[in-house]
Formats: sequence, C-alpha cells, structure tokens
Amino acid sequence: MSDQRVSQYPSLLRSEQMSLVQLYVPIDQAHSVVEELAELQRVQFKDLNPDVNPFQRTYVSQIRRCDEAERRLRFLTQQITAQAIPIRPFEDTVALLAGRSGPQALEELDTRLAESEQRVAAMNGSYESLEKRALELEEARQVLRETDVFFSEATSRTQEIRSSFDEPSAPLLGDVEAGAGAGESGFGGGFELEFVAGTIDRARMATFERVLWRVLRGNLYMNYAEIDDSALPVPTSVAGDSAGGEEKKLRKNAFIIFAHGQDLLDKIRKIAESMGATLFPIDSNADKREEKLREVTSRIEDLNSVLYNTNQTRRAELAKIGESISAWWAVVLKEKVVYTTLNLWQWDQGRKTLVAEGWVPTRDIPTVQAALRRASENAGTSVSAILHELRTHKDPPTFHRTNKFTDAFQSIIDAYGVASYQEVNPGLFTVITFPFLFAVMFGDIGHGIVMMLSALTLILIENKFKKGTGNEIFDTFFYGRYIIFLMGLFAIFTGFMYNDIFSLSLHLAKSQFRWPTDFEKGTVVEAIQTAARYPFGIDPAWHGTDNALIFTNSLKMKMSVVIGVIHMSFAICLQVLNHLHFKKPELIWAEFLPQILFMESIFGYLIGCIVYKWSVDWEAVGRNPPNLLNMLIKLFLSPGNVDPDDQLYPGQAGVQVFLLLLALVCVPWMLCTKPYLLYREHQKIVEQGYHGIGSTSNQNGGGLLSGDEGESDGEGHGVVAEEMDEEHEFDMGEHVIHQVIHTIEFCLGCISNTASYLRLWALSLAHAQLSEVLWSMTLDKAFAMEGIAGIIFTFLMFSMWFTLTVAILIVMEGLSAFLHALRLHWVEFNGKFYGGAGTAFTPLTFDGCDEIPEGVL
Amino acid sequence: MSGYLIIYVFVVLAAVAAAGFMAVRKGENQVVIRTSIILVISACYLMWAITYLAQLHPLIKPRRSDLKPSHVGPESDYLY
Repeated sequence: MSDQRVSQYPSLLRSEQMSLVQLYVPIDQAHSVVEELAELQRVQFKDLNPDVNPFQRTYVSQIRRCDEAERRLRFLTQQITAQAIPIRPFEDTVALLAGRSGPQALEELDTRLAESEQRVAAMNGSYESLEKRALELEEARQVLRETDVFFSEATSRTQEIRSSFDEPSAPLLGDVEAGAGAGESGFGGGFELEFVAGTIDRARMATFERVLWRVLRGNLYMNYAEIDDSALPVPTSVAGDSAGGEEKKLRKNAFIIFAHGQDLLDKIRKIAESMGATLFPIDSNADKREEKLREVTSRIEDLNSVLYNTNQTRRAELAKIGESISAWWAVVLKEKVVYTTLNLWQWDQGRKTLVAEGWVPTRDIPTVQAALRRASENAGTSVSAILHELRTHKDPPTFHRTNKFTDAFQSIIDAYGVASYQEVNPGLFTVITFPFLFAVMFGDIGHGIVMMLSALTLILIENKFKKGTGNEIFDTFFYGRYIIFLMGLFAIFTGFMYNDIFSLSLHLAKSQFRWPTDFEKGTVVEAIQTAARYPFGIDPAWHGTDNALIFTNSLKMKMSVVIGVIHMSFAICLQVLNHLHFKKPELIWAEFLPQILFMESIFGYLIGCIVYKWSVDWEAVGRNPPNLLNMLIKLFLSPGNVDPDDQLYPGQAGVQVFLLLLALVCVPWMLCTKPYLLYREHQKIVEQGYHGIGSTSNQNGGGLLSGDEGESDGEGHGVVAEEMDEEHEFDMGEHVIHQVIHTIEFCLGCISNTASYLRLWALSLAHAQLSEVLWSMTLDKAFAMEGIAGIIFTFLMFSMWFTLTVAILIVMEGLSAFLHALRLHWVEFNGKFYGGAGTAFTPLTFDGCDEIPEGVL
Repeated sequence: MSGYLIIYVFVVLAAVAAAGFMAVRKGENQVVIRTSIILVISACYLMWAITYLAQLHPLIKPRRSDLKPSHVGPESDYLY
C-alpha cells in the first residue's frame, strides 16, 4: 500500500493515503516529540499496550500528578467564580507560558498550586470560623434585646399579673412578684427567679415548646419572639448550600424560659441543647444587660472589620491567581494529553527508547520527520527520533483534508457514515448538489437573496466568531455559513426559473402569450400563443391565472423526476471509480452494468419519454398527447400492448417489451455474478495451496519474525505478526444471502427512490403556495386601502409580512427543505455507491486544552 | 426562438465548462473547483432546459376570469 505513488496534491475525491509508521524515540526527548506532534495534528497513535491496565502503565504517576493539579485548579477556579472575580482569557495569559512547558513547568506549577490552595483554604477556614463567631454574637445581641422587652413587659404587667392570680401560668410569676414585691419595687434588683435564654431555629419552636411543657408538666413560663430575618448575617458556607434557590436566610426565634429550681433548669438546658438551640447567659439586672449589650455590639463591630479584611486579602490572592489561571489550566491539560499519549507507547528495555506506532497521511511523513528533528533540537540532544514505515494489511483510518469551505459539506456526509478508506467521497459532489437540490425546493429570488446576504454577513465577519459564541443555535448556523450561502445563491437561480420573487413574478423578456382584446367582462379568457418563447424560466403570463397551478404542477413533477433519475444515475456511475481504484474491474460488468441498465431501461426511458413529449408540437401533429403515467403503468401490466390513440411514437410497443426484458434480465445477472466471482476467487486460492494459513502458521510466523530481528524486537513487531491472523473463512451461503438482499434492495429502491424525488415537487409547490397566501393575506390587502389609514395599515402589514416571511418562509421552510435535501443525499444518492464503513482519523492534538473545561465555571 | 436554442446553449455551456476546467490552476483545491464548475453548469443548464422545453409547445394556455377589457391592449401587454 505504501509503495503506491502519492498524487501531487490532495483531493477531496478520496481520503488521504495513510501509512503505518513506527517511531523510535529516545526517552529524554519523548516529551518534546509528543508536544511537537500534537501541535502538528497529523499522527494518530495506536495503543501498543492493550493488555496493560491503566494503573500499570509507565506514566501513571505523572498522570496522577496532573489529576491532582487539575483538582487544585478546579478548587481555585470555583473559589474565583464564587467571588465573581474575572478570569483573564487564555489569549492574554499565553505569554506567561513562553518557553515554559514540560515536566519542570508542571513540577513548578504543582508546588505553586499547592501553596495557593493551602493559603486559600486556610483563609476560607478562618473566614468561616469568624463568620460563625459573628453570627453567635449577633444572636446574643438579639437575645439581649428581646429579653429586655420581656423583662420590661413583665414589669409593666405586674398589676395585671397580680390580678389574674389563679390562671395556670400565673403562679410562677406570682411567686416572683411575692418575692420581689417584699423588698424592691419591680424586677430591677432582686429578681430571684431563674431562667434560661437563647435562640432556636424557628421551625423547631413548636416542638420545643411542646416537649418542654410535657417534661416540666407545665411548670414553666416561656416567652419568645421572632428575630428579624435581616438581622442575622448568613455565613457563606450556609448560603452556598442553597444552589440556585432563593436567598437563604436564617429564621430564628429568641426565647426565654423561667423556671424554678436547679433541676428543672438543667433539664431545660439539656433539652434546648439537644434541639440545637444556642443558649446565652443573660443577667437579670437591667444595667448589666445594657452593659453587656454595649460590649457585644462593640465586639461585633471589631469582628466585622476583621471579616472585611480577611475577605479583602482572600480576594486579592484569588485575583492574583485569576490573572494566570487559564495558562495554568492549559499547562496541566496539555501535560495530561502528553502523558496519556506516552502511555500508549512501548518501552524498549534494551535500547532505552520508546517505541510508538501510528497512522500518518503518507503525504505528511516529511513534515512529521521535520517535527521530530525540531523536537530533538528543543530537547537539546543531537540524536533525533527515527521514523520508518511499516507494511500492513490493517484498514487505515479515513482522513479528508478539508478547508473552512468544504468542512461543513464533508460533515454532512460524515454524519451519514465515515467513508471507507480511499473510497469515492460523496462530499466532493455534495458541495454543489446539496445546495442545488435544496434550492429546487426553495425557489424564490427574494428569499434566496435574504438567505444569501445573511450568510454573506457571517462569512465577512467570520474572524470574530472563530472560537464560537457558546450559543448553540448561532454556532450551528455559523458553522454552516458556506452551505447557507450557496443555498441562497441557488435559490436565487431557481427563483428565476420559477419566476417567483416573494410570490410575485418578474417580466424579463417578451411573454409568449397575448391576451385577446374582445371579450365580455367576467368570462373566462384564454391567452393566445404567439411565436415568441419566453427564454428564461416560467412565462410571467402564468402569474395569477386560474390554471397556473395545473401548469406548474406538471412542470415541477416532471422536473423532479428528471433531476432525480439523473442524480441517481450519476451515483451509480461513481461505482466505476471505486471498482477501478480497488482493482476489481470485473465488478464493472458484474455489478455496475446490470444496475445502470435496470435503472435506465425503466426510469431512463421514462425521462426520455418526458423530454420527447415536451419536444413534440402536439397541436401541429393533430393528436392528443398520451398520458405518461398511464404509459408507465401499462408498461408493467400489459407489456407489448400500446393503444394507437395513446401512442407516443411508432414502434413504441417493441421498444417497451425490449426494455422490460432487459430490466428483468438484470435481476438474475445482479443476483448471480458477484457470488460466482467470489467463489471462483476462493477456489483459485485453495488451488494454490494457501488453505488454512490463518489458523496454523500464526505462531510460526510470529516466532520467525522475532527470531530474525533479535529478542528485543519481538515486542515491537508483535503487531505486524498479529496482522497475519486476518484470513477469513469463506462462506458461500453468507455471500449469496447478502447478494439477494442487495439485489432486492436495489430493484425496489430504484422505484421508491425515484418516487422519493417527488418531494422536490411537493416542497417547491408548498413553498410557492405558502408565500402567495402570505402575500395575499397581508400586503395585498393593505395596498387595496387608500388614505392615511392605508398608509398606517400598509406599514403594519409590511412589518407583519416581513416577520412572517423570515420566520416561516425562510427559516422554517428552509429547515424543512434542508432536511429533505439531506435525506435525498443520504438515502437516494449515497445508497447507490457509498460504503461509509470507515473509521475517522483522530490525530493527536492539543485542541480544547486552551479552555477551562466546562462544568468548572 | 425554437427548440434548437437548447442545443446551442448546451454547446456554449459545454465550452464554458471545458474552459473553466482548463483554467483552474494546480493546487490543493483544484479538484473541488473543477468539480464544482462542472456541476454548477450542468445543474443550472438542466433546470433551465427543462423549464424552456416544457414551454416550447404548451399543452395548456393561461386562463383567467378577472380580466377587464381596459387592461388589455398593446401597451398593457406588459402587465399580464
């Protein structure tokens, strides 16, 4: 395979010729070799250690270090985004990386990251504990305030309480009153009754109260008040939990419980603590409480300033990290790619080198060699890595060299299936046929111009959006900008053909019809044919006539059949290129010839008849033109019988019988020849005595190779030896069944696929009708009005018409026509010749390493 | 004009396609450009030829019932 000559320039007709190459890389330049090759994006490495599990590979520790660094970066990035600090984009930070890559850079970065992580984590810890302390103090302050209210209320209600002595809650306070009333006036000094004060979560308040009531058998007096939500600061650790939800608030109640006796108080304390309440020592003396309140307030202020400072320091630290974190991400992600690649390579103990195998486009081997030399220079060694080609029978990956124009078209084909190696690539023809078939369904000059101009805008400003905007819908349209541009251009052309511009028509030349001058108003008038012929598209005289639809219907239906049959015949012809390229010329008569004959003898004949019927002047002949649909049906149902009235041309019956027989002969021809050819080929191999080579001589072959090359090479060539194990068992039955399916599929497919092209007719008709309805429902009505109202109405109707034109006729109809064009290419066109059973070439690349991975931000 | 126009145009366009095929310079995109030129010309020619041919000997003629006598005349031929 590798001895085939490579053409001078790459083409999109076939995928690139690939070579399997082996690299011997001295261990000290392995890293820079991988870096250079990843920049080049032209090598796809094979895994040479498929039996070794991921944890036993050579560079596991380095990958683990990358993972650790990634974890730290993720932590720091999350901290930075949580603080809403901007991250400098990679383009600005790339300078920081200048000349710094490789293991040393990673090591350096690792220590730096560890340091930063530790510092940020420590600051986070101290900030959290400070916040907690601040919350406690704030709660204490609130409790002090609220209890103050309780005490003062109690004082003012002394009289009341005394009077309601026999109520269940009264006795406790009554006692207080009795004790207090003896000496002092009011609570102030000699308040003897003991109490517990604190805060508790508001949701637990009711339970708390009930539990206390049961345990103390009602021997308590409890008072509580809700603390204002906004008074309590919410710690960041709590606020962070409510991801996406409403702003989290602490809802707490301050309570005070009066009880008698140390036992009861202890019980209350225990219950309160078990329910998550916070208790605060409160003095019953009003002055002392006041003093305490002042103290707490001042401490809160101190704490707040400390909190502020801590946060500022943390922000400064994070901002500094944010300056360069995208560059650090790039270093870590790239290193990870490098070591993952190195893990695919094999370590040659004897020569202290790494052995790599991979696919390279044959054309790019010199470039790869240049990259290897560059790598050895970078690594500062004189010996460069060695590359040599291997001979192989493995299927190489498929690589189409696309540019920004052809890329989107190729991806239409790749979405159906990646081409088999070196087979004819339909992507090349899709560049034109796809927009063309789209436009047949979308023919309108106006809509085409809008579409073409919007795509042109995207093309002109494409440099701004190279990186993508993140808006998926916009990015999709942007990716397909060249497709849309061509679709617009072709829609303009087909619009001229259909003579449709926003459902109106153009009058480019003299019409071939003339209207009679003498007729009564209100009667149906038929135009008179003149000698002229309208040269470009449909005659504008048809516009708005009663039978315009009948004419365009017939034209568009026949047009779609003609285009469809030509499109499919072209696809069948492309088989020949494949058969010649894969050196199987016998398949031309075994496969291509019966297929094309079958197609043309039925549908080729049909389009011949269509064209012939158009070219005959039936009026001059003086006969009624025959119905082609009936002719096609009779061709199958009663071959050989043609009614003289429906005869298209003399001798029609004989021609039709011949064509039908030809088509019938093609079926067994397709069915038998290919399996027979395969059988004959197999017999030839058997006769030459190669039978059973795959099963028996495999070990010998492998042993021979390693014996010749010396022990150390055994592993390196193991892969080559393994490839000899690819002899297939010949199974005639399987080939026959496959061919039967293939034949039935083709013959039935010819009929259903031709019918499938009628979608061109249906969609173009629907498009024309829809745009006509839209015109007559909006602008046409507005033009009928006069005066100021007419102007306003026209303005309103125009905006409505334009919006609906863009939204429905261009975007929605465009999408549906796009999908139908897609189907015609995938099923009707590709199905005739395209295998699409290849694997895509996925070269080693640093793509995506420049960005902070999604999900982290 | 007659049906021979289809053949004349075919000859002219075939010449144009051949000229375009020759004129493309060697390079990475030679195959794409050549294929595109030929496909564009053949697709557009096909569509034009079909519409022209279909109107060469029309089997039906436009008919309308909303025509007013004042609309018709030598100068208003342009309108309809």
